[in-house]
Amino acid sequence: MDGCDAMATNPNKQKGHPMKHAFHKLALVAALVTAGSTAMAQSAGTWMVKGGVNNIDPHVTSGDLSPPSLPGSKVDVKSATSAIVTATYMVSDSLSAEFYIGLPYKHEIVGAGTLAGVGKLGSVKQVSPTLFGQYRFLAASSALRPYVGLGLTYAYFYGEEGSGALTALTNPGGPPTTLSASSAFGVSPELGVAYRVSDRWFIDASVIKTFVKNTTTLSTGQKIDTKLDPLSTNISIGYRF
Amino acid sequence: MKRIHSWGLSAIAALLLVACGGGGDGDQGSRVKYTAMVSFGDSLSDVGTYAVSTIAAVGGGKYTVNGPAGKNWTELIAAQIGVAAPCAAQTGLNSIIPSIPAVPVTNHAGCYGYAQGGARVTNPVGPQNINTYPASPDGALGQLTDPIVNQISRHLATVGGSFSGTELVTVLGGGNDVFMNLAALGAGLETPTQAVTAMGTAGAELAAYIKTQIVAKGATHVVVVNLPDVSQTPFAYSVDAQTQGLINTMVTTFNAQLASGLSGTNGVLLVDAYTQGRAQTANLAQYGITNATVPACDFTLMIFASSLVCSTSTLIAGDTSMYQFADTVHPTPYGYRLLAQYVAERMALNGWL
Repeated sequence: MDGCDAMATNPNKQKGHPMKHAFHKLALVAALVTAGSTAMAQSAGTWMVKGGVNNIDPHVTSGDLSPPSLPGSKVDVKSATSAIVTATYMVSDSLSAEFYIGLPYKHEIVGAGTLAGVGKLGSVKQVSPTLFGQYRFLAASSALRPYVGLGLTYAYFYGEEGSGALTALTNPGGPPTTLSASSAFGVSPELGVAYRVSDRWFIDASVIKTFVKNTTTLSTGQKIDTKLDPLSTNISIGYRF
Repeated sequence: MKRIHSWGLSAIAALLLVACGGGGDGDQGSRVKYTAMVSFGDSLSDVGTYAVSTIAAVGGGKYTVNGPAGKNWTELIAAQIGVAAPCAAQTGLNSIIPSIPAVPVTNHAGCYGYAQGGARVTNPVGPQNINTYPASPDGALGQLTDPIVNQISRHLATVGGSFSGTELVTVLGGGNDVFMNLAALGAGLETPTQAVTAMGTAGAELAAYIKTQIVAKGATHVVVVNLPDVSQTPFAYSVDAQTQGLINTMVTTFNAQLASGLSGTNGVLLVDAYTQGRAQTANLAQYGITNATVPACDFTLMIFASSLVCSTSTLIAGDTSMYQFADTVHPTPYGYRLLAQYVAERMALNGWL
């Protein structure tokens, strides 16, 4: 971690370039770090990025598939894990804006209610970019910074695929039943914590509850409303500039 | 597709879409891979035993609204599981009606649709069989009505005595035992109690055939659909309440014997079409049914009053696409679709689809 420590020699420079020409300076640097430099870590004006993995586990409350259908025909959506990247800007030492985006998630849709056990009804892909406003506790220089956030999520669904079971239950023997899931905005409260492991690098973990509902329409004309309300759990490695 | 207002989201979403492609049909395959469908039963499963002579000429042949969409539940299930469309294992007609010339009985190799309109469980003489004539004038049509017990033995004879185990076998019967016992009652040949007892016997016999002639001969996926409630048909609505009640008792007695006979039999999925049908009748809107009392077929436009000779050009006025009944007992294509949908749900829940 030479580079990281070296960065600490220019604590006030946002775009400092590592100075690595003198090993003997490292001891001095280390001493300065441990003495506590106030301007490093998550202070006002800092940009940070993170990369990690996120699991989205929908906690589905399903309506009934609209007629003509078997009563109590409901769906559940399985969890999915994918990579996330985030960009964060410290508006002040405590307030930050953070944007989440990541690779797509592919969720399996299965039967529930009276359809519990029929197997896979289809799948849907989604990306859910979210812009958070966050409040970070403790001092900007603190190694451990818990935070709370509130985000606006756009749950964008695409790549829907049906299945033999979906066709069988909606139009047996007919052309394959396809589905289309509406995209929707949701609100996402967040609890998280960042832990500084070096001057530039940190580990961050958060849990996010998103309140979002949408409607899926089948090619048979039937519709089903679902509250998806997923819980997202993520862990990332971050870097501050 | 929803409009995305932020340029940032739009750009990212576009990238991801390019990367990941769009949606589609998904895997339409069944979890169980079937090689064929073999169907035993009566008019509700008949795919064209009598699609000959004048019946074929007027566009008939199945007991529904005949036409491009005129498929019964076995055809829909066959399409769903991806096997060849079922064809009639036997065709012919013993008609003595001059305008409907008789056609010799012919067996068709490779066709496993054994179900025949008018077929009973064991008794070879069902409705419109020539042997019911002249007591029953309708018998002049000369339906073959080869009973289910014979249908099974004919199949076993053509396939070397055993099922391969990869077929989906369907069985649905008993309705014609109701009609023939009602006729016997009406002719004073039976008491109501005897009619009910006869139905119980037929149910028990059907269960025994399924166990000893189908499952014991190697079939592993046998869908047995019990008898829908004949007392909730336009036919039954035209008779007095006491007879309606008797019909219901006959049906439930048959179904009870069928269920107890099949209880615990591996390889058999008993589908309760009786209860499902009653649920549909009680809640038409849930199933999209617009009428469950009036036949969609206009008998005045047909060569005789059976959906066997009903087509899309012999319908009553108005939109009958979501009617339950084509004639006084047989479903419209939509009614069959609802039955197929319920069978499919039960199959899926059983891991058979």
